[in-house]
Amino acid sequence: MTIYQPDLVTVVDVIDETPDTRSLRLEFQDEATREAFGFHSGQFGEYSVFGAGEATFCIASPPTRPGAIECCFKLVGKVTTALREVDIGDTIGFRGPYGNWFPVDEWRGKDVVFVAGGIGLAPVRCVIWNILDRRDEFGDLTIVYGARTVQDLVYKRELQEWQARDDVTTVVTVDPGGETPEWEGRVGFVPTVLAEVAPSAANAVAVICGPPVMIKFSFPVLEKLGFADDAVYTTLEMRMKCGVGKCGRCNIGSVYVCKDGPVFTAAQLKKLPAEY
Amino acid sequence: MSDERHADELYLTEESLTRLVDELLTAGTEVIAPAVTGSCASPAAIASAACLRPGAAPELIEYAALHDASQMALGRGLPNLSLKGFFLPQEEALVSWRRRGTGLELRGPRVDAPSRIALGVKPCDAAALEIVDKVMNWDTKDELWNGRREATTVFTLACPVEDESCFCAAVGGTPDGTRGADGLFTPVEGGYMVQATTDKGRAFIDSHLAAHAGEPAQSDSLRRQAAGFRSAARERIAGHLAIDGPAIRDWVAANFDDPLLTSLGIRCNGCGACTSVCPTCHCFDIVDEPDGVSCGTRRRCWDTCQTGRFTSHASGHNPREDQNVRFRQRINHKFAIYPLRFGEILCTGCGRCTRVCHAGQDLVEILSEIDDAARRGRPAVTADSDGGGEG
Repeated sequence: MTIYQPDLVTVVDVIDETPDTRSLRLEFQDEATREAFGFHSGQFGEYSVFGAGEATFCIASPPTRPGAIECCFKLVGKVTTALREVDIGDTIGFRGPYGNWFPVDEWRGKDVVFVAGGIGLAPVRCVIWNILDRRDEFGDLTIVYGARTVQDLVYKRELQEWQARDDVTTVVTVDPGGETPEWEGRVGFVPTVLAEVAPSAANAVAVICGPPVMIKFSFPVLEKLGFADDAVYTTLEMRMKCGVGKCGRCNIGSVYVCKDGPVFTAAQLKKLPAEY
Repeated sequence: MSDERHADELYLTEESLTRLVDELLTAGTEVIAPAVTGSCASPAAIASAACLRPGAAPELIEYAALHDASQMALGRGLPNLSLKGFFLPQEEALVSWRRRGTGLELRGPRVDAPSRIALGVKPCDAAALEIVDKVMNWDTKDELWNGRREATTVFTLACPVEDESCFCAAVGGTPDGTRGADGLFTPVEGGYMVQATTDKGRAFIDSHLAAHAGEPAQSDSLRRQAAGFRSAARERIAGHLAIDGPAIRDWVAANFDDPLLTSLGIRCNGCGACTSVCPTCHCFDIVDEPDGVSCGTRRRCWDTCQTGRFTSHASGHNPREDQNVRFRQRINHKFAIYPLRFGEILCTGCGRCTRVCHAGQDLVEILSEIDDAARRGRPAVTADSDGGGEG
């Protein structure tokens, strides 16, 4: 068996997050693999539908809840189209976990601010649950999440669950024009809402993931709030194939995103050529 | 290279080599060597230096797994493609699947290749193997590559220096090199002087080659002839391109947006021929090939950073949208990224990319320009200051 041979996983749940975004819950078929499998928040995998190919997504479920893993994907290409066709009980492939991770253990005792947009909540959600499952180890938690429209918000039930908790501040927003008459949350772009929420940067780190434009305009907001570049973490999305630093595809500057990333600090990103 | 290293060279006549290869083939051992596989009438033959040699038969040379010893064409020019395909095949199965109900069965390829021998390998092609070993083993190990590497005993053939496009010495090589190989053949009158440089090479000589080798009376003169061939080749290559590798590495890494690096692709058509013929280019794609409804094979295939699809995201976003930045990536990967990461230039100076390019991209010329900029410590020039500022 080579490093390119996936493990077989069974689809145990299919959850429609939005009209074009779906979550799959996957269980390793091999018992020993199921028992042994471990990963860190932020790591990714190669998910395959045999006949269509492999696609790269982060593991969206937290390592604190072993037994199954989850991924969240948007219908955009060949493999995600095929992934839309799979149903509960079907077999697909998984290779991973690959890449580096958010240094959650180093954040003990600190406040954590999560900033996410659209499907960018998936990798952040993994960290959120990881930290909520170890709530006592961390300081104040703030989540600022937004999507283009109410319909485009992912993990809707979990957003409600987080909003109902008093040990985390959860602010959900939709872009202007994306609200419905029933919408009770904020209306405004994520960077604007982040500036309004204004979480303290003292003894805090920020985790940010979303569309490039959201990240671009959120970095200055975080900087203004006092977050140092090495206290701001994000995860890069690149076209990948092998996931193990061989195929050369995710190479930016001196970095192989699949090995040195996908998690980078804003300080590290600023040193990279803008080829992502 | 001191000639003491060659003191225990053995003499192998052309006829003995033929007998040795036939014996190996009869025993079922795969023998890879340059062979005439076609004529230069084929457009694919553009890269074959043999085609251009005055008075030479218009023949196309490729490394091939021999059927019989008579196919061997040692020292008749640079094979069209490098040796890499014997270690990273143009396409190969990674896993096959078969659906059974809602379940699946997977089958992987064998990773333990049967032992084989490669003869008459260009030193630049052998060196590439050791350079690519680094990326294939820096963390996870590529079992398919490693299996073939372990199974293969490689003997280089000292190269006379094919033509002006050769520049192995500029990137740390030498026309009589054995890097990535287990031994060296040097052409002499009537045959070759042969020497092992690794235990694997010595084992091959002891178990197979020594029985065919002769100890002619004129062995001293043959040794001198071999030494002469090698030193003449080294002298010849010394007159070709000379660059400062570390200076280029640092300059390219520090001047990503320099106009010199962002205008390299103007002539380039993005066909990827350069990456195909390159002995060190190793980027690959992974694709699924269904074979009917319920089964199929996942394969890896050579890929090229010179096409837009290489980096385009499913969303339509492409971090390297035009040919200039794609060609910069090729230069950057070979002369800065790989050296910084693995301590090796990802180029062995074979010159194939320059010979094969129908658009006239010339790596020798490009490297000279970058070397010039790097030696002068030319600062990054921005669009604003280009030609406008003082001094």
